[in-house]
Amino acid sequence: MPKRRDILAIVLIVLPWTLLITVWHQSAIAPLLAIRKACHHLVKEIFIIPERLAVRHQQLSDDGVEGKREAGGQVQDSKEYCASDKDIVEVVRTEYVYTRPPPWSDVLPTIHIITPTYSRPVQKAELTRLANTFLHVPNLHWILVEDSQRRTPLVTRLLRETGLNYTHLNVETPRNYKLRGDTRDPRIPRGTMQRNLALRWLRETFNANSSQAGIVYFADDDNTYSLELFEEMRSTRKVSVWPVAFVGGLRYESPKVNAAGKVYGWKTVFDPHRPFAIDMAGFAINLRLILFKPQAYFKLRGVKGGYQESSLLRELVTLNDLEPKAANCTKILVWHTRTEKPVLVNEGKKGFTDPNVEI
Amino acid sequence: MATRMKLKLKTVFVLYFMVSLLGLVYALMQLGQRCDCTEHDMPKDRTISRLRGELHRLQEQIRKSEATKQPQKQATKSSLPTIFVITPTYARLVQKAELIRLSQTFLHVPQLHWIVVEDSPHKTPLVTDLLVKSGLTYTHLHMPTAKDRKLQEGDPSWLKPRGVEQRNEGLRWLREDRRAQPGGDNQQGVVYFADDDNTYSLQIFEEMRGTQRVSVWPVGLVGGMKYERPVVEGGKVVRFHTGWRPSRPFPMDMAGFAVSLKLVLANPEACFDGEAPMGFLESSFLQGLVTMDELEPKAANCSKVLVWHTRTEKPKMKREEALQAQGLGSDPAVEV
Repeated sequence: MPKRRDILAIVLIVLPWTLLITVWHQSAIAPLLAIRKACHHLVKEIFIIPERLAVRHQQLSDDGVEGKREAGGQVQDSKEYCASDKDIVEVVRTEYVYTRPPPWSDVLPTIHIITPTYSRPVQKAELTRLANTFLHVPNLHWILVEDSQRRTPLVTRLLRETGLNYTHLNVETPRNYKLRGDTRDPRIPRGTMQRNLALRWLRETFNANSSQAGIVYFADDDNTYSLELFEEMRSTRKVSVWPVAFVGGLRYESPKVNAAGKVYGWKTVFDPHRPFAIDMAGFAINLRLILFKPQAYFKLRGVKGGYQESSLLRELVTLNDLEPKAANCTKILVWHTRTEKPVLVNEGKKGFTDPNVEI
Repeated sequence: MATRMKLKLKTVFVLYFMVSLLGLVYALMQLGQRCDCTEHDMPKDRTISRLRGELHRLQEQIRKSEATKQPQKQATKSSLPTIFVITPTYARLVQKAELIRLSQTFLHVPQLHWIVVEDSPHKTPLVTDLLVKSGLTYTHLHMPTAKDRKLQEGDPSWLKPRGVEQRNEGLRWLREDRRAQPGGDNQQGVVYFADDDNTYSLQIFEEMRGTQRVSVWPVGLVGGMKYERPVVEGGKVVRFHTGWRPSRPFPMDMAGFAVSLKLVLANPEACFDGEAPMGFLESSFLQGLVTMDELEPKAANCSKVLVWHTRTEKPKMKREEALQAQGLGSDPAVEV
């Protein structure tokens, strides 16, 4: 009997102390998490800038023609420096490299360009000329999302060499959802999962309360963009729209704008009664709106052809809130060009050319 | 004595237990409130503010070094050989888009002179305005193709050679213009024939700048293959890797070579032969200029693809045509 009592006593003593210790341990950790996030952002800026500086000094002393910007080509996952953050969902693996060559202004809103891409022979060419266009736009952040199981070295290398400010993501569209060349029966319209991933990345990276002004634009890799377009979209307050050339079987499709400068309809032949009869390249959204409505995504399944854009926009804005750009939607600043699929007949079954040479 | 001890022990234990319980309750209540853990925050905060200070200092340094870099850049610019890019173009729906994205690539290349030759009896306002807005150094020419040499609607693209008269006109203008320049036939420069639907990386222009006679490199997505290229052994071109008629004297695409200005001026008769059989257009020009072993291989001994022979689809205009039949076509005043 004394034994039982002893045991009881010991338990009664030890239990509260263990509870106490665990509780104190937890409360000590919580404030550290907040600091880690701040460390994240600073690491990105601090660890990259000295590299750029070093190369610039070299250029000054070289006086040779150093056209290539090797600077800041650091592919750094800042997670290595700050203790790894397990809060971000596994699918989102980012490579955020802040090596934008000037110009970068502190007052211009950042344009976040979301481009889904997939492997095919013309991919490198398309991304190259797209990058050549983007290099002229100040305060641009390119979010490139690959339709692949893992990030390909081709795209990784290309992004690094351009010197652009980019984020490289990837998500694979499940095989039975991919377009099977039969464009009359698409299961999931191409690029949807990739665009949704980019939206989710934006929502996880940017805080709704932060003062960072941003504009989100969906740019496909085979279209053609004039530089004026990016300056037009920078002043977007909610959602801005403009005409797009070569869509819907017409020279161009455009929103109908009344004398008061409001959009009241759509000048298209293909189903003008869609809620938003506009192409992906014909609108831009303010980042704040994206963050404010975190449930708005492109609908994956059960979307009729041509209704993709509406599936996102109707959750964000009404027709009345649309801001017409490009001189009240009378100028064409973006062309929905498509690149021909190259005929590779001479490759034959085994492939004639060396597969190690990247195209 | 034993009972007293026991009693004492019991109370001790009870007291001990009560104290622990109170401590636990206190701790739990503290958890719900904001932690005042200044001892943990301080070193981290200090690191952050130090890093921020360093960041701003480095940014200032960069801005300063950029300011001093500008005048140096100007000095090196003028000593670079100019690349003369001759682009034939013709009016079609995608013309403006193609020229715009081409100009966006060219804007990155220093010392580039764009010679645009329109297949048209006169200069069109579309191209004129585009060139003015582009910000590039340019020359705007025009030369119509004779009707019987022109591709008709529905003809396959390989039926007749395209751009011949325009490229020849570009060469003619270049020779005339350069003859009048100081330095005469010893001028530095490179001539490149760039079609308006291809894709060019920025590296290809730096590769071709040092051309002494004729330099060559691989071209992607052409000749029915992933890429065509000259095969280089011992720093010299020995043969060409191509899937189509490799017996041609120069089985290359127009985008796969560049000629030095000196060579162009020294051979005033060299031009493209429109009568040459299909695929022999490039050879008809290069034959009189250079032999295979004189070719200079670029792009890491012709192992990297830096230019792609992309082609743009013709946009489907079914609905537009239907509307126009009804007289409701889109406003032709809006330039596309």
